[in-house]
Amino acid sequence: MDILIQQFVNALSLGGTYALLALGLAMVFSVLGLINFAHGDLMTLTGYTMFFAIGAGLGLPLAVVLGIACATLAAVAMERVAFRPVRDANTATMLLTSLAVSTILHMLFQNLISARPRAIPVPSWMIGAVDVGGLAIGVIQLMSITATALLLIALSIFLRRSILGIAMRAAALDFPVTRLMGINANAVVATAFGLSGLLAGVAGVLWLAQRGSVDPLMGFLPVLKAFIAVVLGGLGSLAGAVVGGFALAFIEVFLRAFLPDGWLPFRESITLTLVIVLLLVRPEGLIGRRENVR
Amino acid sequence: MSSGPEHLLDVAGLEVRYGAIEAIRGAGLEVCKGEIVTLLGANGAGKSSFLNAVMGLVPLAAGRVALDGEDITGETPEAVVRRGMTLCPEGRRVFANLTVRENLAIGGATRRRAGDAATILADMLDRFPVLAERHDQMAGTLSGGEQQMLAIARAMMSAPRIVLLDEPSLGLAPRVVDTIFEMIVALQHHGATILLVEQNVDLALDIADRGYVLASGRVALSGPASELQASGEVERAYMGRD
Amino acid sequence: MLHASTTRIAAVAAGLVVAGGVAQGDSHGITIGYAGGFTGYLAPYDQPSLNGVQLALDQINEAGGIMGMPVELVVKDTRSDTAQAAVVAQELIEEGVVAMIVSCDVDPAVASGVMAQAAEIPSASSCASTPSLPAAVGPYMFSNYTADNLQGAVLAEYARGQGYENAYILLSRDTPYTEKLPEYFGEAFEAMGGTVVAVGEYTMGQQDFSAEVTNIGGLDPSPDVIQTSAYEPDFPAFIKQLRAAGIDTPVLGSDGIDSPTTFALGDVAEGVVFSNAGFASPGSALEAFEMAYEAKYGTPNDTVFTATGYDLMMVIAAAIEAAGSTDGPAIRDAWDNLENVQVATGSITYKDQNRVPVRVVALNQVSGGERVHVGDFSPDPSMIPAP
Repeated sequence: MDILIQQFVNALSLGGTYALLALGLAMVFSVLGLINFAHGDLMTLTGYTMFFAIGAGLGLPLAVVLGIACATLAAVAMERVAFRPVRDANTATMLLTSLAVSTILHMLFQNLISARPRAIPVPSWMIGAVDVGGLAIGVIQLMSITATALLLIALSIFLRRSILGIAMRAAALDFPVTRLMGINANAVVATAFGLSGLLAGVAGVLWLAQRGSVDPLMGFLPVLKAFIAVVLGGLGSLAGAVVGGFALAFIEVFLRAFLPDGWLPFRESITLTLVIVLLLVRPEGLIGRRENVR
Repeated sequence: MSSGPEHLLDVAGLEVRYGAIEAIRGAGLEVCKGEIVTLLGANGAGKSSFLNAVMGLVPLAAGRVALDGEDITGETPEAVVRRGMTLCPEGRRVFANLTVRENLAIGGATRRRAGDAATILADMLDRFPVLAERHDQMAGTLSGGEQQMLAIARAMMSAPRIVLLDEPSLGLAPRVVDTIFEMIVALQHHGATILLVEQNVDLALDIADRGYVLASGRVALSGPASELQASGEVERAYMGRD
Repeated sequence: MLHASTTRIAAVAAGLVVAGGVAQGDSHGITIGYAGGFTGYLAPYDQPSLNGVQLALDQINEAGGIMGMPVELVVKDTRSDTAQAAVVAQELIEEGVVAMIVSCDVDPAVASGVMAQAAEIPSASSCASTPSLPAAVGPYMFSNYTADNLQGAVLAEYARGQGYENAYILLSRDTPYTEKLPEYFGEAFEAMGGTVVAVGEYTMGQQDFSAEVTNIGGLDPSPDVIQTSAYEPDFPAFIKQLRAAGIDTPVLGSDGIDSPTTFALGDVAEGVVFSNAGFASPGSALEAFEMAYEAKYGTPNDTVFTATGYDLMMVIAAAIEAAGSTDGPAIRDAWDNLENVQVATGSITYKDQNRVPVRVVALNQVSGGERVHVGDFSPDPSMIPAP
């Protein structure tokens, strides 16, 4: 039983990071119909910003703030430079643009910084665990769960209470009519990218705290996971992205924890098979509504 | 076709193309302050294209749009809305997953900065009491007629100088249509200027001051509503005379 | 550093000839080809290897070249793509290279290697460590790097020497290295009388090891030692979560964790022992290499792949010199009989080794964020698991 609860906490912590990433991906998708494959590279950017900030002696807290700010600004800049010119083009064009942006960033990181990983030292207090009712919960896990919860609450308030937030949800449903409300299309898209960058930045910090280094290709795998989470939750649904992120983490952690040894090599295939089965049963995703299926 | 300051909306020589297809081939109309003007035409005559082009939702191939004497040709829809013209789109297109309250709030986005969103909201809820009852309900759960009321109220939340209504009777039961049209007339009495696109010719001409008939992308006929109603030429124009 | 990198971008992008020293035209020079993944996922390995190769080339040309002829290197980027690795190898063959260096990963190395094999041009992977690689391609393919079975055996010998009875192995089937090395370790460890109590599996890039760590905590008997060939980002994530869960079982790693990240991990990495290709003790060839590297590139060396790239270039030069000819079969035969070639990491012998060299394996321990030399090992050949 204890192990079960422990694995539950493990899944919750991992799910938080997936959820933040997936939410960022879904936010951009919901307004533009674009899966931004350069999303993961925003995490990488957070990592390099932190690496250089720590190297310049700025200290970890400031490095974290700068790292997140940099991802946010970079996301907005990415939209302005790369995606705005092709906004009215078809989905395939936008998808290819995002892959191009990602590849260009990889090349720049590899050739201007280093192809080799760069270490980001994590203070030792972050590595310990706290005892919560007999459960050993890692400090990073705890931070991950807390940060995710706070961010999701703040975002939910923003999306429900502010005009821009409501406009973003409206734009996800019907972009032209949102513009008919006098809402500036560029402002909505820029906000979506900015928020996605913020989320990627926070997820990046949590991810980096676990892995301790940044390398040029580090964003590739997380963006794939986030993509699976978004599809699982329901393309176009923000709540779906969050649910999808947690669902994916729970599937992964529980398979890794409880599959018999002989089955372990197949855990990834089993995960994806489960995702496919879920999508066969609910093609619109866990949360998505049928009308949202594109 | 002289454009004078008495014209609140003045559209001239409008052309819209979708690839090789010419949807609008040089159409124009004027709407004076306080008027209800109706734009009639058969299915596919280009009525919606006309409205979308006027709003800046689809690009113009040629033509000029002026609002209160100011040239607004080629401006983005959001800029047009902020200048005081809005469109209540065909098929209502309320934000189904947003509550009634949120639909109205976003409708008043441009007034929130002006600070009078609350006054307009109170006025709309007074005018459409059913929206007050359904305030926290998802817009998608409303009936067709209620959704149409919400769509109109949402458009009015920006306190427009002129509102373009695209097919407000579409898919609604006759009794509901009557209610909607009464409300349109009531809006006019409170000073609203309306350009109404309709397929229901009789109803539209009943409440309109003047009318235009669009056929094959051109204005085939225009005149005071009563004359159009009496002449019987509207039906002929509907057959198209290209 | 920026300067060196910009030059590299230009060179890689245009597939230009990077001449080390005096290249005096095609007919007078010896041309070596390098088909590497300088962009894409292999860049972290092939870029440093290239730096090492170029440093060796500089030194060879300064000393008069090979057989008195200047040597030039033709570098082509495979973009870490296996299909492209074959195309690029063919291009290099057409440009008349006499030997070819291929990618660090097994798949592209095989793709390039079979082209070279067909053209009877000897080739070697810069740092692929799978011992079965040369046999998979044919007599013209050589290994260069410390083989996985050798490292596994040295680690097992060390573990048994420490009195560890029960081992836990963490492997990933995503690459031969992360899968086979721990398996070779396990095989050797059991052959030496130990017991592997459990095998865990992870996926490369997996951020979260909580499930595996929770399982290790519940093992009975609990292991005396944990061996893994996970490297970053997996290794730091794993060891942090392992230590966070209060498990202080000793951890043995392999050369993949020979990286600044490991030494920046702080307390959690304290005491970790890992194998690699050599330790730069004072006065050693490796120390001299490190100094020459910093002088050339203006930045300290941060990985052993530079040194092994340097080693490989030196081996190729020795093979051509010994063959006394630029003829492919002659170079191949000479290469296969090389003995005690002095290189940056020590000495390398190919004679009677089926093209998988014997070289020293060093064990190092992480201590206070520094590297401490545990010793250099060459295990009894009978204790090295067969590929």
